[in-house]
Order: sequence, then structure tokens, then C-alpha cells
Amino acid sequence: MGSKHRIQITVNEEEYDLLVHPNRTLLDLLRYDLGLTGTKEGCDEGDCGACTVIVNRKVVTSCIVLAVEVDGATITTIEGMQKGDALHPIQQAFVDSGAVQCGFCTPGMILTTKALLDEFPDPSEDDIKHYLEGNLCRCTGYTKIIDAVNNAVQLLK
Amino acid sequence: MKRFAYLRPGNMEDAIAALQANDEPYLLAGGTDLLIAMKTKAVKPECLIDLKGIPGIDGIEYDNGFKIGALTTVRDIEVSPLIRQKIPVLSEAAGTLGSIQIRNRATIGGNLCHGSPAADMAAILLAMSCEVKIASDNGTKTMGLDSFFIGPNKTVLNRNEVLSQIIIPKEIEQFKGVYLKHGPRKAMDIGIVNIAILLDADAGSGFCNQIMIALGAVAPRPIRAKKAEALLNGNELNPAAIQKAAAAAANETNPITDFRASAGYRKDLVKNLVAKGIHQICESNNT
Repeated sequence: MGSKHRIQITVNEEEYDLLVHPNRTLLDLLRYDLGLTGTKEGCDEGDCGACTVIVNRKVVTSCIVLAVEVDGATITTIEGMQKGDALHPIQQAFVDSGAVQCGFCTPGMILTTKALLDEFPDPSEDDIKHYLEGNLCRCTGYTKIIDAVNNAVQLLK
Repeated sequence: MKRFAYLRPGNMEDAIAALQANDEPYLLAGGTDLLIAMKTKAVKPECLIDLKGIPGIDGIEYDNGFKIGALTTVRDIEVSPLIRQKIPVLSEAAGTLGSIQIRNRATIGGNLCHGSPAADMAAILLAMSCEVKIASDNGTKTMGLDSFFIGPNKTVLNRNEVLSQIIIPKEIEQFKGVYLKHGPRKAMDIGIVNIAILLDADAGSGFCNQIMIALGAVAPRPIRAKKAEALLNGNELNPAAIQKAAAAAANETNPITDFRASAGYRKDLVKNLVAKGIHQICESNNT
């Protein structure tokens, strides 16, 4: 029982052909099998958003997705945002706005912001709050994060 | 998580066969409730049967009323332009469930089948007098959603049955609705009390043609406040009548006391929120 399954996925534009146990979460696959430790494990039950990644253009909490479920998917993690030495404009906006304190929630915040701006390039403040409500930050009080999203909108124009 | 076998059947017949052939099988839809229950060892499946490989089990169809596939994500319901146009309260209720990450995975069918008394989709769909389509090895049957729930985490589904579709009656489109979810936080929380009200009333006279009131998190299963409805159906909606119906709704509940709220507080909330919801719809009717 529980024999391994073969999955083929694209992570940050690299293709992987992997054998995984059904009880491997996408989060553990990314962190421990692929070494992509930018994706953080927070609550491990889908509440905090630290493990947010983008699967087929949609944000998910990777701690409650099984690796076998994403066979064939295209995935973006925080490591896929930067191109060469240049930060992605959303990353730059988070740095410029002082939206990063301890940094633990930041990868998830940035990926949720990316999904938000891909869907709504010019969001209202209510749009931003509704979209980011599943990403918890215990340091900033959120105002700097909302500033960062607004700054990212300008940088992406 | 302990180990389990993973199956991804390509059609409903194979899914039902797998459900009968395996020990301790669980159906997997979005996994947002199930995987957490597996992590805490509240459930210990030997076999997960992933329904996402079944063609046609997800999607929003409109043919003389909505027919929503059980595997349609809550996010797809929230953002569907046709749902926003014809029954906006369903989209609003969907938007209160979890977070965007959860809504991108969680499905309407999974939310119903998990059987939580606080399920957001359960209260709103119950108020809409929906029917559910159930596939089994003896063909498919359709039943009212009100007969679907039994108690906490328990539905009528047998080991050879899979919920495949939710059917929303077309008449609902002439009703105005409101979904009130009371809790300490707007996101990522289940309601202390959930109230869904659908009302068909004359704008001028305030005469109530028909009202449907569903209550979540105040009984072992999501319920309809039928006595409260009966007090208002065919009567004028004046403040005294609304107050009386709201008190009747509170009397129909049987809430528990837990860390979220006491039973008494929940009853008071039902009374206040049912009245608030009806007034809210009446006001929007008159503007």
C-alpha cells in the first residue's frame, strides 16, 4: 500500500520527473526533494499562508495539497520570481516599502500579490485586503504590505 | 500523515467501484478539510480516491437554473459572472469561506459532504432549496438538500454513493438574498452563527410572498427555520412580525457551547441576525 506515483511537474520553468509517496505534501516535495526552501512551513494546516505557491496560476497553501494531486501542473515558488540578479518588481516593492520584517510570511505574501496583480492589475484597497486575507503577518501590522502592493502596481505599469 | 494508497479514477463508475473495493476509503475533492483531518489523525484513510480526474464533475452550467458540478471550486462560484448576475448572494457567501488559497482548492461538493454544521455553502444552498444529485452503482438519484444532512460530519451518503451535482431552482432568481456570517475575523474562520435568507417580497407593500431562512452552526446540522418562515409567508413584513419570526428562529436552534461562543449567545445572535437580515433585504427592496 502507498506505493510511489510518478509525477511530472514544471517548477519555476524547470521540468521535473519524480516518484512520490501519496502522503508527500507539495510543501515537503518543494522543500525537501527539490531544495526550494523559500516556501515556508508555518501552521501546516492551511491557515497562515506562509507555504503559498502558485499552481496553474492559482495560489494554494502547499501544506494541504498532495504532490500526487499536482501531476502535470506548472508551479511558481518565490525562487522563480527573480530573473538573474534583478528582483521581480513585486519583490522590489516589498523591499522599498519596508514590508519585510522577519521575512517568514514574505514569500507567501509576494506570491499572493503576484496572483492578485495577474488577475486585477489595478486593485482597490478592498481587493488587496480580500485577496491577502489568507496570508498572516505577525510583524508589520499589514499597512506596509498594502503599501508594497500599491507600489508594485506602479512599478509594473 | 500516515501512508495510504492513492487512486485517481477516470470516471464515476470506477470511483464508486473503488469506494466499495477498498478498506477505509475516503473521497478526495479539494482536500482542504480532509488533509487537515488526516494530519491530526482524526481520520486514517487506507485509500484516497481523488475525484478530480472525472471529466464533467466540475463546472457551472446554466439550463433553466444553475447546475453546479460537485467539484467546482468555491472560488469559481465566487467569481462566476453569471452567478454574480442571477444569484449574487451565492457568490457573496462563497467569498466568506476561508481564504483565496482555500477557495481555490475547496469545492462546493466537498463543503457539503464534510457535513460541518458551520459549512458556508450548506447554509446558503439550504436557503435556496437546492437539490443534490447523487451517483451510485444503481444509477443516479436526486434529493432535497434538507434531507442530505444528518449530524456533525454525517450525511446520508452510503459507501456506494458520490455527490455529483447541486441543482439550484430557477425560481430563486427572483428572490433577494443575504448571507450573514458572524465571527471575530472576516477571513479564515468558521462562523459562530451563519444566517442565509432568501426573500421574495413586494417592494411597495412589504408583503412577503415567500421567505427561506437557513441557519448554520446552531444545531447538529445546518437547518431551515421553518416555523419562522411559516410566520412570515403570506403576511406583511412589519417590524413586529419580523421580530416575532426572528424569536421563533432562535427557538428552533439547538446550539452547543464551545470555545467560539456559548449556546445562549448563539441563540441571541440568531434572533438579532435574522431580524437584521430581513430588514436589510427590505431596505434594498425599497431603494
